[in-house]
Amino acid sequence: MDKTNVVTKSSVAASRKYKKNSQLYEIWRNFRKNKGAVLGLTVLSIIIITSIIANFVIDYETQIIRQVVPERLQRPSWKHPFGTDQYGRDILLRILYGSRYSLSVGIVAVMVSLAIGGVMGVIAGYMGGIIENIIMRSCDVFASIPALLLAICITTAFGANTLILMISVGVASVPAFARVARAAVMTVRDNEYIEAARAAGATRMRIMFTHILPNCMAPIMVQTTMRVGSAIITASSLSFLGLGVPPPAPEWGSMLSEGRSFIRDYSYMTMFPGLAIVITVLAINLIGDGLRDAMDPKLKR
Amino acid sequence: MYKYIIKRLLLLIPIMLAVSFIVFFITDLAPGDVVDIISGTEMSVEDKEKLREEMGLNDPFVIRYFRYMSGLVRGDLGISLVTKKDVFQVYISRLPATLKLATAGTVVALSIAIPLGITAAVHQNSWRDSGSMVLGLLGLSIPTFWLGLLMIIIFSLKLGWFPSIGNEGLISVVLPAITVGSGQAALTMRTTRSSMLEVIRQDYLRTARAKGVSEKVVIRKHALKNALIPILTVAGNQFGIAMGGAVMTETVFAWPGIGRLIIDSINNRDTQMVTGAIILTTMLSSVVILLIDIAYAFVDPRIKARYTK
Repeated sequence: MDKTNVVTKSSVAASRKYKKNSQLYEIWRNFRKNKGAVLGLTVLSIIIITSIIANFVIDYETQIIRQVVPERLQRPSWKHPFGTDQYGRDILLRILYGSRYSLSVGIVAVMVSLAIGGVMGVIAGYMGGIIENIIMRSCDVFASIPALLLAICITTAFGANTLILMISVGVASVPAFARVARAAVMTVRDNEYIEAARAAGATRMRIMFTHILPNCMAPIMVQTTMRVGSAIITASSLSFLGLGVPPPAPEWGSMLSEGRSFIRDYSYMTMFPGLAIVITVLAINLIGDGLRDAMDPKLKR
Repeated sequence: MYKYIIKRLLLLIPIMLAVSFIVFFITDLAPGDVVDIISGTEMSVEDKEKLREEMGLNDPFVIRYFRYMSGLVRGDLGISLVTKKDVFQVYISRLPATLKLATAGTVVALSIAIPLGITAAVHQNSWRDSGSMVLGLLGLSIPTFWLGLLMIIIFSLKLGWFPSIGNEGLISVVLPAITVGSGQAALTMRTTRSSMLEVIRQDYLRTARAKGVSEKVVIRKHALKNALIPILTVAGNQFGIAMGGAVMTETVFAWPGIGRLIIDSINNRDTQMVTGAIILTTMLSSVVILLIDIAYAFVDPRIKARYTK
């Protein structure tokens, strides 16, 4: 009697746990098998944790932007592992502190394009007809302006600061998100359960955002991850051109732009900030690739 | 067929109108106007206002836009605020350098991407496959401007093999072309791999092998030929984008093309030049991409058949 009771209890608990986690757990299990993706996730976690710790440990006024003239342009040494720049500021500290700009700009920019492009795409894909035509044609218009030029255009019009940088980088990839979201919705919208929801009297908004959207998350999430990487590159490119995060903030792109003037004799100044960008973006792209394979094994070829 | 081409070209017109409207609108929002820039500080406020009235800068936005567009149709985009030269003429004079860089970059990209992509597909899941995938991922993760800087450090400052800036002779195109090409190569390689993998499983390849065609010929003649369309689509798109000026590469190598023209004009606050250059660039790259797209219809009988009805 007791024994059977225990068995049923545990099996119920097990099945409940399994049900609750099944989809996410399945993705995680596939993801974990991918060595590159796990490496990417580890590296990105380290970068994020570093940028949070840097916030508390490093003092912006005295360690990041204060000029120490006697220590200017020192090559990498034990005291300054990555050397110092033309104002005597420690490059390692600046890179560690600077991770916040690239990460936040990349993530916020992608959130902007996800919010605008994703909603546009879902509406276009579900509604069809004239609305779809209007939305997708306006995406064509925006997509035909090269992304970097569009971002440059917006930053010049509104001035170079971090918020404008986030928005301009985000706006530039709205069409890409709209297209992915629309394509994803179109594969889902003719399923029976959507018809069932409609028959049950669900409103259009409800169908779009509670029935369709969760079922086409996979391609959208993959796109989101991949885009964070390219957004970081675009943002640092703009900063390199002097159109992004303004100095003296230690944004990696603007550090590269400063280092460029000293490239002949102090090439280490252009090495390390660039490496930081590559490592961050590579980690994100590895995660993106891993997610894509984990969410849709069919895509893995 | 010709109906299709004409239809595609006509469809481009409203898009281009909308693009020029957006670009004109955004640059119009930029603080400061022409008068502030050309007059400097000596001019009094009244005189400035008079000049604005004369130049039609106080007219409503829509009227200024129509004036601009009617100029655009005639190839008149106004005069640069800084150099006082004709915007259209300056733009045209920068085109050859950009065309040279875009072509060289695409050649580099294709000669890296296609062999690597094919190797990866043929030896799927081997070390060669993962090796080229890692290379591809690296190519997507390296910012072009940093790659350019690295090449300058290594190949022109340390080794002295190539000039670090400018466009003089064929040798100066090498580093910029590799910089442009390696970014393009990453995407093209991924496309080559997946397109080849799709084709490799087709029955007609088994037939070809069964009738005794050698593996090399199977891959080169039977598989690649059929996998080529998506590869060329991606490469063509990238060429079109590069035609729009490889802004970052041109900046790093001081390459006298369109991309650098745009950046220089922004730094000089030459709005007239920026607006004109961005509109022309968008048109140029859209037309190039469209032409490449149409070219497939001639090359690929499958696409041709769809439109000859």
